[in-house]
Amino acid sequence: TVSFLFFFFFFLEEACEMYCRAANMFKMAKNWSAAGSAFCKAARLHMQMQNKHDCATSFIDAGNAYKKSDPNEAIKCLNAAVDIYTDMGRFTIAAKHHISIAEIYESELVDIEKAIAHYEQAADYYKGEESNSSANKCLLKVGAYCAQLEQYQKAIEIYEQVGATTMDNPLLKYSAKEYFFKASLCHFIVDELNAKIAVEKYEEMFPAFSDSRECKLLKKLLEAHEEQNSEAFTEAVKEFDSISRLDQWHTTLLLRIKKTIQGDEGDLK
Amino acid sequence: MSSDFESYEQDFGTTTAELTNKIGRIPKLSGEEKTQLILNVDKQLEEVRELMEQMDLEVREIPIQSRAMYNGRLKSYKQELEKLEKDFKRSRIAYSDEVRQELLGDDGGSSEGQRAHLLDNTERLERSSRRLEAGYQIAVETEQVGQEILSNLHGDREKIQKARERLRETDANLGKSSRILTGMLRRIIQNRVLVFMLGAIILLTIILAIYFNLRGH
Repeated sequence: TVSFLFFFFFFLEEACEMYCRAANMFKMAKNWSAAGSAFCKAARLHMQMQNKHDCATSFIDAGNAYKKSDPNEAIKCLNAAVDIYTDMGRFTIAAKHHISIAEIYESELVDIEKAIAHYEQAADYYKGEESNSSANKCLLKVGAYCAQLEQYQKAIEIYEQVGATTMDNPLLKYSAKEYFFKASLCHFIVDELNAKIAVEKYEEMFPAFSDSRECKLLKKLLEAHEEQNSEAFTEAVKEFDSISRLDQWHTTLLLRIKKTIQGDEGDLK
Repeated sequence: MSSDFESYEQDFGTTTAELTNKIGRIPKLSGEEKTQLILNVDKQLEEVRELMEQMDLEVREIPIQSRAMYNGRLKSYKQELEKLEKDFKRSRIAYSDEVRQELLGDDGGSSEGQRAHLLDNTERLERSSRRLEAGYQIAVETEQVGQEILSNLHGDREKIQKARERLRETDANLGKSSRILTGMLRRIIQNRVLVFMLGAIILLTIILAIYFNLRGH
């Protein structure tokens, strides 16, 4: 029996190597699905041999190969790899691969909810490993998607949190006003009064915010909303846009806010 | 006599009028004409001065009672002559608008010139403000690029710090493993020495046993 086990393991080792070589050849021939499945088989053999590191690496290779052909399979492989890494306590790498999974959900499968979940998970792992800038990067994505999906409360919390942490950091303080601006916009959609209170709070917390063009724009928008004047609103937005273009996210939110103004006008009429 | 005086007065009047005219014209001319006119005016001034002297003599010949009126007139004529001379002096060095216009080119009318000038200024102002706005836009873009770069730098900083920590750990682990290996090596050597010693003792014991056995026989 000993010799049988010995031969068994020996053959496993050989088999693993063979599968890896086959997968690499498939990659050269650009046959991604075949490469992916070969890597998966290699990974399972590694698992049998109790080589956790190699197993996870093979799953990652499989995931990368499947990315180009079958996103669902890719996600399965990547998830398996992430489980192994979290088992071993390698959270940084696990977080990195959570981001990869989230990106696939973002682009190929367009499942924003799952993407948000993975980004959040990645952010938590990064926070645990004290990589605050990577955590912030993930959180910002979560916030952006939440606002798109109209989960404004969550978005507000995230942006306020990120803004508060970055405003003290000498390297990052120039980005802080951007985050406060985004938080204010989310406040605005929910309720105008909230937005006003929020803007004052941010000005107090972060004096440089009051000098920024974003703050001035916000004040003009608040005024326009109070007077239910959608032309003044459009005017202010156009002025801001002429100096620095507003990106897709901002335009969408501002449009929603504008609709609330026009909606109110419609109600009054 | 008084008729003489009156004819002198008339002459004086006409000459001074001419002189005033000519003196007015002097600043507007230049070069050859100017010098000619100046000489002319000079000559006429001389004539006028002679007239004045003659008028003086005439007045002296008038009886003292009626002299007062003529004296008064004479004084005013003298003053006029002095004024003319002063004007003449000044006119020789005076500037004139027309000379300036000739130098700087014909405007063909000052109001049109002013209008063109104003339009030019407005256009220049507009150009400057457009350039300022473009500059401001570029500054804002630069700030945004700077923000991105700074946050990238921050991320890289953390990664580098992490990598350094890991390297230090690896270094410490390597040191530990090397110590363990040397320990293992030492123990192997010790074991081997022990085995040799024991082997030697056993051999010795066997030899002694055989020796005593043979001796015992």
